[in-house]
Amino acid sequence: MVSELQSSSSLKTDEMIINMGPQHPATHGVLRLIVTLDGEIVRHVEPVIGHLHRGQEWQGQNRTWFQYQALIDRVDYLSGMFTSWALSRAAEKIDGCVVPERAEWLRVIVSEMNRITSHLLWLGTYLIDLGAMFGFPFYPFREREKLFTLFEEVAGQRMMFNYIRIGGVQRDPKPDWFKKLEAFTKDFPDRVDEYEAIVTENPIFLKRTKGVGILTKAMAKDYGVTGPCLRCSGVNYDLRRFKPYSVYDKLKFDVPYFDKDGDTNDRYIARIKEMRESNNILKQCLDMIPQGEIMAKKQIAGLRVKAGEGFEAVESPRGVLGCYIISNGSDKPFRFRWRNPSFSNLSCLPELLIGHPIADVMAIFGSIDVIIPDVDR
Amino acid sequence: MRNSAEIRKFSTISLVWLSITFLAVWAVCWLVGIALPLFLLPALGITDPIWGEVCKAITPIVAILVFIPINATFMVLFERRGLALFTVRSGPNRVGPDGFLQTAADALKLLLKEDITPRGADIVLHTLAPITFFAPSIFAALPLLAAVTDNHPIFRIVNLPTGIFYVLAASSIPVVGIVMGGWASNNKYSLVGGLRSAAQAISYEIPLVLSIIAMCMMAKTLDVVQIVQQQAGGFWNWNLFGGGALRGLDRFLFYNNSDNVRALQIFDFAYGHGIWSLVGVVLLIICTIIMALLYLTGACAEINRIPFDLPEAESELVSGYNTEYSGMKFAIFFLAEFTNLFIVSSIFVVMFLGGGDCPLPFERMLPFSPAFMGPLYPLLVEKLQLVDPATLFAALWIIIKTYLLVFFAILIRGTLPRFRIDQLMDFGWKRLIPLALITFMVMVFAREMVHVQMVFPGGTP
Repeated sequence: MVSELQSSSSLKTDEMIINMGPQHPATHGVLRLIVTLDGEIVRHVEPVIGHLHRGQEWQGQNRTWFQYQALIDRVDYLSGMFTSWALSRAAEKIDGCVVPERAEWLRVIVSEMNRITSHLLWLGTYLIDLGAMFGFPFYPFREREKLFTLFEEVAGQRMMFNYIRIGGVQRDPKPDWFKKLEAFTKDFPDRVDEYEAIVTENPIFLKRTKGVGILTKAMAKDYGVTGPCLRCSGVNYDLRRFKPYSVYDKLKFDVPYFDKDGDTNDRYIARIKEMRESNNILKQCLDMIPQGEIMAKKQIAGLRVKAGEGFEAVESPRGVLGCYIISNGSDKPFRFRWRNPSFSNLSCLPELLIGHPIADVMAIFGSIDVIIPDVDR
Repeated sequence: MRNSAEIRKFSTISLVWLSITFLAVWAVCWLVGIALPLFLLPALGITDPIWGEVCKAITPIVAILVFIPINATFMVLFERRGLALFTVRSGPNRVGPDGFLQTAADALKLLLKEDITPRGADIVLHTLAPITFFAPSIFAALPLLAAVTDNHPIFRIVNLPTGIFYVLAASSIPVVGIVMGGWASNNKYSLVGGLRSAAQAISYEIPLVLSIIAMCMMAKTLDVVQIVQQQAGGFWNWNLFGGGALRGLDRFLFYNNSDNVRALQIFDFAYGHGIWSLVGVVLLIICTIIMALLYLTGACAEINRIPFDLPEAESELVSGYNTEYSGMKFAIFFLAEFTNLFIVSSIFVVMFLGGGDCPLPFERMLPFSPAFMGPLYPLLVEKLQLVDPATLFAALWIIIKTYLLVFFAILIRGTLPRFRIDQLMDFGWKRLIPLALITFMVMVFAREMVHVQMVFPGGTP
């Protein structure tokens, strides 16, 4: 259909420049897209980023380790656990401290919970992008709310957790908490079935997503796309599997992967499957988690990390989230650098959009699941 | 039922609001149409009959003008609470008891808000657009008044011999308002929204009108009152189920049940062409159901509701054609949108669901019969003319059926994503229009095959 539209350009028309954002109801934050339209067809896109630049790296160099730990959840506010984890892992690598076994398991549990909440929010907002204005989006929020209640219990916060710390985790959840989580994991697959019943086979949904925004393997590699988008485009790359960190080598789980050029529908299916897999991981963790210490370093205001430098990455819901640190042994990091998945994933957007109608701008943009604070830092 | 409390609140609010709407219109119509010319004017000493005629003539307009704002106010609340039910939320529940006055407060806010005209906008067109959008819905509703009140004397004046034609003509004008608003706003989103709306309305009006034409062909008239009257007598006579094609069959079954000897004769009389008539009946019923679905699809597109709400696609065009509107003008756009939803639903009720006909042929005048009301009957019904039993029940059924359809539209809105513009055009021109044309052709033949006395209410046998 798209090619048909493109070929019917025998009639010469003026191009129109539309400024989507930064205050647009569907740009997931403040991204500005300067879109050149020929009728309804996108001819050129120029994303303007930086409206949400907060100098996260510079802030890191001007705050103590202890202060900055609390700040980094805001880098990617939908998956704060992963940013905390990337920082902690990098700092622990430099410092050489060994994280207690139980803390590692708790980190996996809270991170996978966070992956589920992040994908749930993506699901709801993506359906809004496709125009299912009020209907579906609130169902995912129901389950998200349950997880947030659990997060609140364990970390004292619903979104900005500051739970994973350098050297371990902040506090040990009560046995009661594990029971609640277990009840959630039992319930959750049915809820995912509910979403799928509404969305997956919906003819309008399929029409809007099949064959739209095709990300080829070569393109995905060129732009450094990671996460579900990459795995849908024929590259089976998941850090949890490819370079297992923490206790992921002890867990059995599938990584959803499509050996073809992925479109937006594939990305939807991949995320749905990832939610199910995360749920499986949670179940296994609840069975296998050992007792013991949860913290290897004393959490004080003058928290110090030994001198050295290191890079560590984790697989966040959006892709590879890495953190490069140079420490000079003081209570402040000397240099800081984030490797954000959203930034790389967003960079392929202009190429994906060209030739699509304007309605697909948001469908494709939503499908690559970008968090603007994560892009702008 | 986890949210049975919410459902109960929703039903209560709906019932109360509906009663208010109904009673307000009833009271106003009675005052202007009956009390004023019959009692008040003579009491004031005005004996010139022309004033009584004037009062009667303006009654329909007054009724519409009272009905539309109250109804739209209720419908917005109905939609918001209904969507909340489908999406596990509570909906607006702060203003008044359980959010009862939410939309009334919203309307007040919109009226008091500053009216902004953007720089570079065409002020004349910018102001005219909401009016062009809203006014036709008032015109369109007028002939329907006669149909929904079972041709009550005070509404007989608005009945037209070409009723449904006029209604369709009037209800296709609003798109001009949308294009005007889109063009005059000096905003690219508005412009794209307006143009989309024009394209969409042109494409989807064809299947919509074809389905209406098919029903007019069945009824052999364009007069809405007659179309309604022909469907009287139970749901099997409704146009949705073949428009009386089953009339022979139900009589056949009825007489067979009572072992009447004349049963077969009646059957033969009703279905003149024997077995071919029965084939025709089946075809006709299938065709009319397809036509009804085509009408619903076309109507959804015509009034820009999900999944066809491309002119105001929020995730693409911010708010489409009404992006630059605020205050009173926006309120009028909003009002007209919901009025249009109500009007297309009531057209469906009139054309397909038998208008004010009770689904089962009960004796509907029972509570207002002389025997039941006793001494009150001569006072209320005959002298004051406060209640016209036929009209009352017809209007009640219309309201119930129409709100069921509105509820259905809300359910769709709560479920489906939006089409893309090229897919929308594809669907309209390549699927709906051929389907409508083919169904129409089949109906023409099927109707001849049935050859049933469907034109006259009651039929001969």
